[in-house]
Amino acid sequence: MNRFRYANATSTESARELVGANGVYLAGGNDLLGLLKESIAEPGILVNLRSVPGLDQIEPGDAKWGLGAGVTVAQIEDHPGLRQAFPGLHEAAAEIASRQIRNVATLGGNLAQHSRCWYYRHRDIYCLKKGGDTCHARDGENKFHSIFSGNPCISPMVSSLAVILTALDATVVVQREGETVTLTMTDLYQRAWDNPTLHHSLDRSDIILRVEIPTRWSRSTYLQVAEKAAFDWATVSCAAAVRVADGRIQEARVVLGSVAPVPYQVAAANRLLQGQTWSDALGGSVAERLLRDATPFAHNGHKVPIARALMQRALRHVS
Amino acid sequence: MPTWPEKRSVLGRRVRRADGPLKVTGAAKYTSDVQPAGCLYGMILRSKWPAARVTEIDLSEAARSPGIKAAILVRDGERRVRYYGEELAAVAGTTKQACLDALRKIAVRAQRLPFVVKETDGIKPDAPRVWEEAPNLSKPQVTERGQVEQAFAEADVVVEGTYSTQIEIHHCLESHGNAAVWNGDELTVWSSTQGVFSVREGLAGNLGVDQSKVRVISEFMGGGFGSKFGPGVEGAIVARLAKEANAPVKLMLSRFEESLAVGNRPSSIQKVRLGATRAGKLVAYELDSYGTAGVGSGAATEGGGGGAEFPAPYIYAIPNTRVQHRGVALNAGAARAFRAPGHPQASFGIESILDELAVKLGLDPVELRLLNDPSEIRQREYRLGRDRFGWREKYRSPGSSPGPVKVGVGCAGATWGGGGGGTRAQAQINPDGSVEIRCGTQDLGTGTRTVMAMVAAEVFGLPPEAIRARLGDTAYPPSGGSGGSTTAASVSPAVYDACEKALTELKQRTGLEDVRGENWKPACRKLGLEPLVVSGQWQKGLSSSGVGGVQFAEVEVDIETGLVRVRKITCVQDCGLIVSRLTCESQVNGGIIMGIGYALYEDRVMDAGTGVVLNPNLETYKLPGIADIPEIDVVLVDMPERGVIGIGEPVTIPTASAIANAVANALGVRISSLPITPDKVLAALGQVKEVTA
Ligand SMILES: Cc1cc2nc3c(=O)[nH]c(=O)nc-3n(C[C@H](O)[C@H](O)[C@H](O)COP(=O)(O)OP(=O)(O)OC[C@H]3O[C@@H](n4cnc5c(N)ncnc54)[C@H](O)[C@@H]3O)c2cc1C
Ligand code: SF4
Repeated sequence: MNRFRYANATSTESARELVGANGVYLAGGNDLLGLLKESIAEPGILVNLRSVPGLDQIEPGDAKWGLGAGVTVAQIEDHPGLRQAFPGLHEAAAEIASRQIRNVATLGGNLAQHSRCWYYRHRDIYCLKKGGDTCHARDGENKFHSIFSGNPCISPMVSSLAVILTALDATVVVQREGETVTLTMTDLYQRAWDNPTLHHSLDRSDIILRVEIPTRWSRSTYLQVAEKAAFDWATVSCAAAVRVADGRIQEARVVLGSVAPVPYQVAAANRLLQGQTWSDALGGSVAERLLRDATPFAHNGHKVPIARALMQRALRHVS
Repeated sequence: MPTWPEKRSVLGRRVRRADGPLKVTGAAKYTSDVQPAGCLYGMILRSKWPAARVTEIDLSEAARSPGIKAAILVRDGERRVRYYGEELAAVAGTTKQACLDALRKIAVRAQRLPFVVKETDGIKPDAPRVWEEAPNLSKPQVTERGQVEQAFAEADVVVEGTYSTQIEIHHCLESHGNAAVWNGDELTVWSSTQGVFSVREGLAGNLGVDQSKVRVISEFMGGGFGSKFGPGVEGAIVARLAKEANAPVKLMLSRFEESLAVGNRPSSIQKVRLGATRAGKLVAYELDSYGTAGVGSGAATEGGGGGAEFPAPYIYAIPNTRVQHRGVALNAGAARAFRAPGHPQASFGIESILDELAVKLGLDPVELRLLNDPSEIRQREYRLGRDRFGWREKYRSPGSSPGPVKVGVGCAGATWGGGGGGTRAQAQINPDGSVEIRCGTQDLGTGTRTVMAMVAAEVFGLPPEAIRARLGDTAYPPSGGSGGSTTAASVSPAVYDACEKALTELKQRTGLEDVRGENWKPACRKLGLEPLVVSGQWQKGLSSSGVGGVQFAEVEVDIETGLVRVRKITCVQDCGLIVSRLTCESQVNGGIIMGIGYALYEDRVMDAGTGVVLNPNLETYKLPGIADIPEIDVVLVDMPERGVIGIGEPVTIPTASAIANAVANALGVRISSLPITPDKVLAALGQVKEVTA
C-alpha cells in the first residue's frame, strides 16, 4: 500500500474536483481496499463519496424505481417493496459475499468494481489489464474466466447486481463532465468488451448517481452456481425477467454473469421467447442461441453446461 | 502400574471449555494480541522470483527510511532462491506502513533462473532443476512383499486406477508469528506454536544462546495442524530484529505469506492396481506414486520417498504388495507435517480402488471392508455405523438414483497412533483450597486446559471450574510438542500422577483420611502457610495408542451443475478413555470439516507461467463455510480400559475418501482427483467439450 491523501466530498462537484488526475472514489471500500493493499491501485487521493448527501435513497415509483448509488447491498436485500417489485434483485443481493460485506458494499461500488482475475489481483503479476503485454490466463489457470470476449483479456464481469439489473433493463444515471447522462447497462460495460485495460465504461471522474429500474416486468429471478454454498463468487450467474400477458411471454431478458467482460445477453435469444409460452424445448433453443458463440478455454468448459442449466431453471421459474 | 479410577464422576463428562468465556469475550491474549511496551512491527521481504541467483541486497536506503529501527539480511552473501516467497531480508519499524515503505526501498539484484511448479512438468527429464546438484525426481523408495506378479496373474479380478490429491495449505486461523523481547542476554518470546519447548530449542540453537536464557510463552494459540513446531525462519528473524533494534518486535505473517512459506500437505499422484478373488478377498496390490513436498522434495530427501510418501496399502491386509514412492522437487514452499501426515492421501487411493473393486464384483462396499480389514475395532465400528447411518437402506447400485440430483453413499476407515509420553506436571494446592496445575504443554484450541482441569477435578473430588490449569510456558514442567495426537495422552497421565501424589501428601500432612470433595477446604486450611507443590510425570498404563475409526458419507450431486453437497457424515471413532467429551467431539467435528475441505474445496493453485501461488487468500483458496457443513453424527466408542488416546488426527483421515466414494456411488462414474469441484464432475459426466488449444 502506498501513502495517499483522503478527503470527504460534500457534493458531486466537489468530488470531481478532489479526484483530479490521480484520485479514486471510495464508497464501501470492499473492492478498493483490496486493490490498495496489494498495491494494484496507487491513487494520490481517496475521495469518499459516502459523505455526499442524497446518494442513498430508495425511491419507489409507478413506472420505475430509483436506487441511489450509495444504497448498500444489504438495504437492497432487506427492502420489502423492492423484494416484491423485483424478486430477482433481492435474490442477487442476498447471494453477494457475506452479510458483513453487504452491510457496507454499495450499489455504485458493486457496479464499478474491478476485475477479480487472480492474475490481475496478484501484487507481482503484470498483465494486459494492468498495461502489460500478455494475458496470463489464456494459456494459464482460466477456470474462473470468460467464455465470451471481444478482446484479449478474458477476465469476466462479476457484479451480481449488474446481471439482474441488465435483465431488468435498468438505466444508470451518471455525472459526467458536469453533465448528467443516462446509460443503459449495456453502455455501462461496453468499453470493457472492447478494451482489455477497462473494467467498465466509466471515466475516472464519472460518478454513478443512481440506477433506475422500470416496473414493467411481471417476474424476475437470479440464480448462481458457486463452488461454496455461501460467501463465494459465482462460477456462472443468470438472471431472467419476463413480462407476461394473456398467458404468453411478451418480452424477456436472459442475462449471464461471470462468462464475459460484460453482463452477457443476446438480443436474438431474448426474441425467441417473445409471444411464446414456456416449454423445455423452447428453453433448449434459447440456450442454443445464447451460448452459440462460446469459446471456452482449457479449464472453463464447464461454464457452458452450467450456464445452460441455470438459464433453463431461471426461465422455467419466471415463465 | 497406575490405572484410572473405575468409577469416574468428571472424566467422560461434557464440561464447558475452561477458556471458553475468555475466548468469546476477547480477553484471551493470543500472540497476535501481545503488545509489549514500545513494541515494533517486523516484516519480511520475500523473493519475487520462483528461482533466481541473488547477488546483492542493499538495505541502506531501507535502514534510513522513517520509523525503521532495524534492517537485516536473512542470509549473507550470494544465494539462490528456490521459490516465490522465500525470505530475503527483514525490517522492524514503528508502524506497519513504515515497514511497508521500507521494504519497497530494498534493492535486490538477482538473475532469474528457469523454474518449474507443476508435478507433471517437474518429473520431465529436461525440467529445470530445483536443486542444481540432483534431479527433481527422487530415487524411488520401494518395498515389496510376497509374489506380486504371480498373485496378480492368479487373481480372479484386477482393477486399476490413478488417483490424485492436491496440495492443501494449513491456513491456521492465527497466522505464524512471534513477539520477541530481549532483557540483557535473556530472551522472552511469545509464539503461536505447537511446541513451546521445541521453539525454545530452535531459537537457542539458532541464536547460539543457552536454552536456560530463552523463555517461550504460548498461552493461547489459533491452530497449528502440524505447521508450527519450530520457530521457523520468521521466528529467528524476529529475535534478530529485536536484538538489532534493541526493542521488542512482533512479526506476524500475513495470509498471503501463509500461502507461500509455512508448510502444506504434499500432493500425490497414485497409480494403483488391486487384485482379488471372486469373493472379494484382496490378494495383490501395487502402488506407484509420486508427489511433491515443494523444495523439500527430490535431492533434499535422497533415500526417502521424497517427502511425499504415505503408508500403503494403508489399513488393509494384503499378502502380496509392491509399493513405490517418489518425490518431485518443485519451486514451491516446502511441505510440513499436516494433521495425520500421509494418511488422507493413503486413504484416498486405497478406499477409491476398493470401491471400484466392490462395483466390479457387485459387492456391498461395507462387506468388502469387513472381509479385508484386519482391525477388530473397525469391524465393530463398521457394524455399528452401518446401522446407525442406515447404510442398507441408503446404498443403491451406482448412478441409479432418479432425477437430476443424484444421491449416493460411501464409507472409509482410518488408523492412527496417538499415544503419550515424556511429560511432567505440577500440582500446587494452596491453603485456601485453590488448585493450580502447571504443565509446559500448549493448548492448540483442542481443549488441553479443560482436560487438565478435569483430570485434577476427578482426583480431588472438585468441580473442574475450581482448578486453575496453567500451560504454554517453558517456565512450567516440560512436555513435548502437540503433534501426532499425543497431547491428551501425554498430559492427562502426568496431571493424574501429580494429583494422586498430591492427594497422598495432603492426607499425610493433615492426618486426615478423606480430604476429597466437601472435606477439601477444611483439609487445605490445615496446610497453614505452606502450599503443597507436587510433581508428577507420565506413567505407563494410563495411556495407549492405536485407534480405529470409520466414516460414512451421504452426498447429493446435481448432474446439471456439477455441484456436490454433503448431506450427512456419520463417524464412529474409538479413542480409549474419553477425558473431555465435549472437546473430544469438537475435535471430531473439526477433523471432519477439514476433511470436507480436502474433498470438495481446498487446492493450492500454482501458475506454470509465473511460478506464483495464484490463490494466496481465503477468497480463492476455498475453505468450507458454515453453509457447507452437513449434519455430523459422532459416535465415540468408549474403551476406558485402554487409557487415554489422542483423537485429533484420525478423524480427518477418511472423510474425503468416504465423500469421494459417495459421489462415485451417486453418479456411477468416479472423480478420481481431489478436490471434487463442479468442473471435474461435469467433465466426468461427459458434459464438457475438450478444448484443443
Ligand atoms: C470475498 C468477496 C466476495 C464477494 N462476492 C461478490 C459476489 O458474489 N457478487 C458481487 O457482485 N460482488 C461480490 N463481492 C464484491 C463486493 O460486492 C464489491 O466489492 C462491493 O459491492 C463494492 O462496493 P463498495 O461500495 O465497497 O465499493 P468500493 O470498493 O468503495 O469501490 C469499488 C469501485 O467502484 C468505484 N465507485 C464506487 N462508487 C462509485 C460511484 N458512485 N460512481 C463511480 N464509481 C464508484 C470506486 O472508485 C472503486 O473503483 C465480493 C467481495 C469480496 C471481498
Ligand atoms: S484475463 Fe485479463 S486480467 Fe486476467 S491475466 Fe488476462 S489480461 Fe490480465
